[in-house]
Amino acid sequence: MSSQVQKRQPWLNHGLAGNLDILAGSVVPPALAILISILMGLDFSIGLLGVFLPLQLISVCVLGMKRQGARGVKDGLLVLFVIFFSATVLVLLVSVLVSVVIQGSAAMSPHFIYQNNKYVSTTTSLEYGGVGHAILGTLMIVAMTTLAAVPLGIAMAVYLTQSSSKLTGMVRTVTQALSGLPSVVAGLFILSFMGFANLERSGFTGALALFPLMLPTVARVAEEALRLVPSDLRLAALALGAPNYRAFFQVILPAAKSGIVTALLLGLARVVGETAPLILTINANNSTNLNPFSGGIATLPTFVYGFLGSLYDTSQARAWGAALVLLAVVGILFGLARIIGRTKNSSPKKIKKANNV
Amino acid sequence: MPNRPAVTQQERRKLSVGPLSTGDKWFFRTTSIASNFAFVLVALILVFLFAKAWPALQQQGPAFIFGNTWDVESDPPVMQLGPMIWGSLQVAFLGILIATPMAISAAYAIVFMLPSRLSKIATTLIDLLAALPSVVIGLWGLLSFAPVAANWAKILNQTLGFIPLFEVTGEEPTYIDSPFIAGWIVAVMIVPIITSVTREIFSQTDSGLINGALALGGSRFSVFSRVILPTSAPGIVGGILLGLGRAIGETVAILYVLQLTFDINWYQILEPHGGAVASWILSRFGEATEKEFEGLMAAGLVIFIVTLIINGIANVIVSRSAGRSR
Amino acid sequence: MSKVQDAASSLSTENVSVWFGERQVLQDVSLTFPANKVTALIGPSGCGKSTFLRTLNRMHELIPSAGLAGSVLLDGQDIYDPKMNAVDVRIKIGMVFQKPNPFPTMSIRENVISGLKLSGRKNNDLDELVETSLRRASIWNEVKDRLNDQALSLSGGQQQRLCIARSLAMDPRVLLMDEPCSALDPGSTRRIEETIQELSDSMTIVIVTHNMQQAQRVSDQTAFFLADDNVPGGVVEFGETEQVFNQPIDTRTNDYVNGHFG
Repeated sequence: MSSQVQKRQPWLNHGLAGNLDILAGSVVPPALAILISILMGLDFSIGLLGVFLPLQLISVCVLGMKRQGARGVKDGLLVLFVIFFSATVLVLLVSVLVSVVIQGSAAMSPHFIYQNNKYVSTTTSLEYGGVGHAILGTLMIVAMTTLAAVPLGIAMAVYLTQSSSKLTGMVRTVTQALSGLPSVVAGLFILSFMGFANLERSGFTGALALFPLMLPTVARVAEEALRLVPSDLRLAALALGAPNYRAFFQVILPAAKSGIVTALLLGLARVVGETAPLILTINANNSTNLNPFSGGIATLPTFVYGFLGSLYDTSQARAWGAALVLLAVVGILFGLARIIGRTKNSSPKKIKKANNV
Repeated sequence: MPNRPAVTQQERRKLSVGPLSTGDKWFFRTTSIASNFAFVLVALILVFLFAKAWPALQQQGPAFIFGNTWDVESDPPVMQLGPMIWGSLQVAFLGILIATPMAISAAYAIVFMLPSRLSKIATTLIDLLAALPSVVIGLWGLLSFAPVAANWAKILNQTLGFIPLFEVTGEEPTYIDSPFIAGWIVAVMIVPIITSVTREIFSQTDSGLINGALALGGSRFSVFSRVILPTSAPGIVGGILLGLGRAIGETVAILYVLQLTFDINWYQILEPHGGAVASWILSRFGEATEKEFEGLMAAGLVIFIVTLIINGIANVIVSRSAGRSR
Repeated sequence: MSKVQDAASSLSTENVSVWFGERQVLQDVSLTFPANKVTALIGPSGCGKSTFLRTLNRMHELIPSAGLAGSVLLDGQDIYDPKMNAVDVRIKIGMVFQKPNPFPTMSIRENVISGLKLSGRKNNDLDELVETSLRRASIWNEVKDRLNDQALSLSGGQQQRLCIARSLAMDPRVLLMDEPCSALDPGSTRRIEETIQELSDSMTIVIVTHNMQQAQRVSDQTAFFLADDNVPGGVVEFGETEQVFNQPIDTRTNDYVNGHFG
């Protein structure tokens, strides 16, 4: 017998009175708030917090009480505050992104990307100068850090997943401790080291300062990636007679490829925007320097930092422009990491969807 | 009683899981060395910080932490971090106060309210916020956000100014560069951490408990306050501690929105007087003499040890509660 | 005694069909659960018995893509009427789950009265309620000296009886039980089956069970559910337990109760 009955969801039916209530409760407070704000000439955030929020609060309480008594009021207030606070986070995030994009576009132009700031002063118009040297500097320094941090981080991840001596627990704890290292402390550490090793400030010392920050990120993400590889693969390789290192390089590593790449990308995203360690260990500079081992060098974050406190419009615009470039770099790294991570589609952090409580 | 065969004492053979070839020997050796490197690195950091910091610490004594003067002109220089330490704690505390409701709300919405597609988008947005460089947030904080926050501070002062917390001295208060604004910036930086941890804890809440609570007549609020929150509380505290650790180490984001003064500002958060150890280090090191440099190193050591302890406790709490409800 | 009997209610369903997303899992289920009777729902795994049970106390709708047609009547009133509130329904129709789920952060005593706190109900004499509920669940003597101990310190069987006590504290008119003994040892199972028989004096009970001997031991009437691949499940036979097991009308019922499949 074929089913001729239609699927329904009777719990969503609030009845005419119920629907009217909900409509009134959603429309009246904003309308009233807008009216009052205009009449009293209030500015936006005051109108929002001082008028709309209390009105919506009252509306929720009244509706809640009417439909379900005291329990309805509490439920309604919970939902209201959750929405309000979550919206605040969203607004703050959007505000940052929008500010950077809008303000940064003012300084943006093709030459901004490749010129350096050598002959630029506070009064030079935005038609001259750019962050080319900073982009180059960031690339060089981050590349050096990556050369050291990625192999070491992967090696640590391998140790954590392949060995099981009593030491592994401690290694993991220490790695976790490192990931909480404040960036300024990393800079001070290298600064002190430079004093004892008689090193001058250079791109290289900057790379050294970024190293303790990139290493734990790479190690942690790489460990997660390696863990996701089913142990059956390794056991199969060993059963076929392969020694451990072959099993690793020829079976496990290719299987964890996308996870390792994600580890690299996330590590990069972490350090490409770090400022404090670089301020301490490099000489920020306005011209292009191709030698990472000596001389002043510019980076995107120190460029932004350098122009941050300026009172001149053009300088502020340059700071925004550099911030936009930096944001774009971080955004691309982040996006790539997400896309590559998703093609493997076995994220352990999948959200377990609970019931609609 | 049935006859059981006698249990003979056999010699237990040793099953070794060793290297299978010379290639393997190098493989294991390399990875061991690599992981030992983690210990070495932490030790190195402590050693190098301490080496430079010790002279200053020796000279200043306990007053380094508790005193409130920073005078590098005098001989010997007097370097005491009191106001900066208090300021760091003050700003961090404000940041947590502002961030926690936002973080718990976002986590609640993601796990218990939004349909799964929106949940994933929201989680991605939170992770994106975590990836934003602190200098970019510092720029936004100074140029875009500070004027708005100063406006809020003004209204707080005008409406609630009778409370000592919101009192301001002076004829024309500016509110910019106050702990209040710095607290907001720090909040923006630590919301993602607290949200991630809380989200993880919420989504691991035993659905049997939630179903049981609903079957007894629980509604959204009562199930949240009586079942979800109590079982999640330890983990959330861990997340907050992680945020605290991050807040104390925050440097660049608040450097330009906080006026660092050595006049301890105990509680007037709308006043443009504050302190932050990390920002202080950055602001002074450019022109520091050798002796002042040692003092700044010592300050860095203090930050390092404090964040080590806080993060250590936080990680223990989080891993214990995340593992518990499996 | 008769005052307690008045508190039971009759529950019935008329042409209930149930969906998960676009997939229909149950078709046209019409059953009657008279007051003070125990009804067993039996059938092979996956044929929709537990899903059906969840429509009886409006728990099914918590799943985002859930769907339902037909009506569920409590004393003649449709519990899915727009004027009815899901929470009020669940106060009157309680549920005990397969895996014992006492609240871990609460003591034994707090667990018993947790339903009151969760639903916002008031009660003037909590101590009496706690004792009455624990007695009715046949666990009072074992816990009366340690009411403030953590609920998780109890054994599995004790935890399940605690959950029963917790539901009883709400004074429900109907008690739904979803395979309440399947995670327990035979000793605890026996004690809970005895409890069910005592409880039927004061409430209507609907119990889903895999255990056919259990169904025969505790129930007055039995409904046999069956489903095929891709075909929505339904009730094949419904009648007095004695008749369904010993003189089944349908051959499929006969096959199932004699162990030919399932």
